[in-house]
Amino acid sequence: MKIKKLLNPTMLILLSIFMAGIICHQDEALAGEPSGKVIIFNAGSLTIPLAKMEKQFEAKYPKVDVLREAAGSQKCARKIVDLKKPCDIMASADYKVIDKLLIPNYADWNIRFATNQLVLCYTDKSKYAGEINDKNWYEILRRDGVIWGHSDPNLDPCGYRALMVLQLAERYYSIAGLYDKTIANRPKENIRPKSVELVSLLQTGNMDYAWEYLSVAVQHGLKYILLPGEINLGNYQFDEFYSQAVVKVTGKKPGTFMDMKGGSVTYGVTLVKNAPNAKAAIAFLEYMLNPQGGLKVLKDMGQPPFVPCRVPTESMKASLPEPLKNLVEVKD
Amino acid sequence: MRRELFFWISVSCGIMIMAFIILPLIQLLTSPSLGMLKESIQDSDVMRSIWLSIYTAGAAALISFFLGTPLAYLLARSDFRGKRLVESIIDLPIAIPHPVIGIAILSVAGKNYWIGQILSGLGIRIMGSVTGIITVLTFVGLPFYLNAAKTGFEAISPRLEKVSRSLGASMFSTFFRITFPLAWRSMLIGIIMCSARAISEFGAVVIVAYHPMIAPVMIYERFEAYGLKYSQPVAVWLVSISLLLFLLLRILTLRNRSEI
Amino acid sequence: MISIQNLNINLKEFNLYDINLSVSENEFFILMGPTGAGKTVLLEAIAGLIPLIRGEIFVGGKKITRLPPEKRGVSIVYQDYALFPHLTVLENITYGLHFHRAEKTSAEKRLDRLLEILNLFELKHRFPINLSGGEKQRVALARALMVEPKVLLLDEPLSALDPNFREEVRGALKRLHQSSDTTFLMVTHDFADALSLAGRAAVMNKGRIEQVGNVREIFEKPASPFVADFVGMKNLFEASFYNTQAVVSGLKIEIGRIVDPSSHYLAIRPEDIIISTETFSSSMRNNYSGIVTRINNQGFYYEIDVRVKDTPFKGLITKGALIELGLEEGIPVYISFKASAVHVF
Repeated sequence: MKIKKLLNPTMLILLSIFMAGIICHQDEALAGEPSGKVIIFNAGSLTIPLAKMEKQFEAKYPKVDVLREAAGSQKCARKIVDLKKPCDIMASADYKVIDKLLIPNYADWNIRFATNQLVLCYTDKSKYAGEINDKNWYEILRRDGVIWGHSDPNLDPCGYRALMVLQLAERYYSIAGLYDKTIANRPKENIRPKSVELVSLLQTGNMDYAWEYLSVAVQHGLKYILLPGEINLGNYQFDEFYSQAVVKVTGKKPGTFMDMKGGSVTYGVTLVKNAPNAKAAIAFLEYMLNPQGGLKVLKDMGQPPFVPCRVPTESMKASLPEPLKNLVEVKD
Repeated sequence: MRRELFFWISVSCGIMIMAFIILPLIQLLTSPSLGMLKESIQDSDVMRSIWLSIYTAGAAALISFFLGTPLAYLLARSDFRGKRLVESIIDLPIAIPHPVIGIAILSVAGKNYWIGQILSGLGIRIMGSVTGIITVLTFVGLPFYLNAAKTGFEAISPRLEKVSRSLGASMFSTFFRITFPLAWRSMLIGIIMCSARAISEFGAVVIVAYHPMIAPVMIYERFEAYGLKYSQPVAVWLVSISLLLFLLLRILTLRNRSEI
Repeated sequence: MISIQNLNINLKEFNLYDINLSVSENEFFILMGPTGAGKTVLLEAIAGLIPLIRGEIFVGGKKITRLPPEKRGVSIVYQDYALFPHLTVLENITYGLHFHRAEKTSAEKRLDRLLEILNLFELKHRFPINLSGGEKQRVALARALMVEPKVLLLDEPLSALDPNFREEVRGALKRLHQSSDTTFLMVTHDFADALSLAGRAAVMNKGRIEQVGNVREIFEKPASPFVADFVGMKNLFEASFYNTQAVVSGLKIEIGRIVDPSSHYLAIRPEDIIISTETFSSSMRNNYSGIVTRINNQGFYYEIDVRVKDTPFKGLITKGALIELGLEEGIPVYISFKASAVHVF
């Protein structure tokens, strides 16, 4: 009697689901080619290129499931360091975030793979859209009724970079007080944790102007103002001029602060120590850093990659996983 | 009297449900140390955030009360073609995913939409403003008020109102002298439900307004940025203060149960 | 006082068709009919509580068709009393005074008079939840009359009461009516109420008025089979008429007069049929022999079904008579009735 109860339909169904789950799991661990989940924490501005890379990679290795979580780069780092969330790869819009927050406890190396520049985005519905250009933008941002914003400097590099652009603009145009006066017209409500959120605010007409990367502006079809190389953080030849800008952001622990110095926008990527699926993650990086693979995707989407990618020192190159060694060159 | 199986099954289910609700809450309320609790309550950002939550939820409930009561009354008393449709529409906010609500309201409030243009002309700002938060909270809280009030009105026999009118009272007098005194408890329950729903809203608000920061957004932000340890105290304060408020309201209504 | 012309109402389950009715001032008028006939609908229409699609209503010579209920001067007392549960008896009764400019002393006098007639002094500060059915009924009446309405509409005021209370409230209604100027219009499905309270009445069926007139008239001369059945004329048959005779399924019945040739039915009250076990000579012109088919115990009397040839007759006898006659099912009996007891229509 009791055995009959055990074999009744409901029990059988539950049993088979349980068995299937176990079998599938075995399958994952036994295969030779890359398989399983690859968790990537990436900067918001990489979302669209990475989505395409995910598709291409998964087409090549169908057993892999790439899971992406986008957030401001500092926030990504905190998820790894403070919240101990499982993560295989971190791709940041500012390689310095990886240097400062992940190395040496959570990462060993840092590959710089792409550049970007900051532009002022808007739509044709923005106030004074017909008037704005690269000569009067800082004056228009000061005007009453203009709603402009940037992302949170404590959570997103694009945020502190926007502030740096303003600091540099003050020096470049030699207008004293430009920074303070412009910031005065930007109340706290116009700050968002992730710069990509600003895009929807622009598109729905809730914001007039926002600071974003050129690649993002292009990917979302926004109008934008190109700024002089001295202030747009896009040209490494102006690194010395850039270094004049300094923004204070929250540090490793709450209550501490650190200074971010201006520098040309350089994206960095790393493999997190104790990654749950290092094998598949390295395979992904192999694809991503390949000039015909991920780097080409970036190029096509308006984000100039480094071909080849760079690491600053020989010792860092030596510490890279084998498959990645010949994809990088040593250059500071 | 020997209790039968039906009774024991009911009691077991009841205990399971109570445990399901209470255990996580107990865990939440007892995790933060007293020191951390004291620190958060003294943090002006935290206090401002909790006060903003209470204030906006209350405003949403009041708006629902004033604007929703006539509709609730109409639905309770009259029958018309498309009534089922109207009732389903009223329940929609409950079914829509919260971020979608936030996105929808932002789109309507932006200058790309005619309503947004009118609002902009009037100087009313929805994105990143208290007005915007109250708008979102009213949207999610309305169905709760409407349904409670409607049920309350339905429970009052229309004959009482008819007699009142035959004795010389206008519809307005009848509503204030007869309907309202008999229905106010249901309306109050509706207000409580609406406020409860509003004060806990996160997904819709965070899209419309990150700053000013309501408590649920602050709890999430602190969790994301610094971890559980820093977000729990705020959660404890929010839950405790809300619980206190709702308990108070309930006591005030239950005290006079014997009257009717 | 009340004049209703061509009233038509078309709501989901309730319909009224071409209602024409006149009620005189200070009359006690009764509206009768089975459940669903539309009586409550008609009352609510007069009170202005439901919309009409066609027709006019006049009260006291004034056209009230378009007036809202509060301006009509028509009070209504519902079958379930509809007392305001959150107000005391006194507050219920004086509710209407908030909306009628009343002279203080005359209002007080009226209040006292009503409280006295309806025996409500001790209940003044009670709440409806603590009242019995009869007490609630009296409070509802006092409340309705307090505002001195031109017309008082009563919807089956006696149906929900115990038989003991019914007599009491009937008496109270009569007293109230006589001591005021208000026109009473009462709905009931019980013909006995009509007989004891009213002068004139109307019988309704399926949204129409079937007959209007004096209560006695309706009782004795129903205008249609429906009304006849309603007032208790049980022996209702289709008949053809020749000269002073009627033929019902081959049975010849003497009716002693020439009637309108377009008549189709005849009816005889059960009380008018005499049942006996032996023939007896009498002046009754109609005598037949038949078989007892059924004996129905109706409490204080017995209803006897007698089959004469193919025609079923119903007669009434007392319990005593039943025993005396030794009536049983299946035994042969004789029935007789006067020609004048045959009602034709």
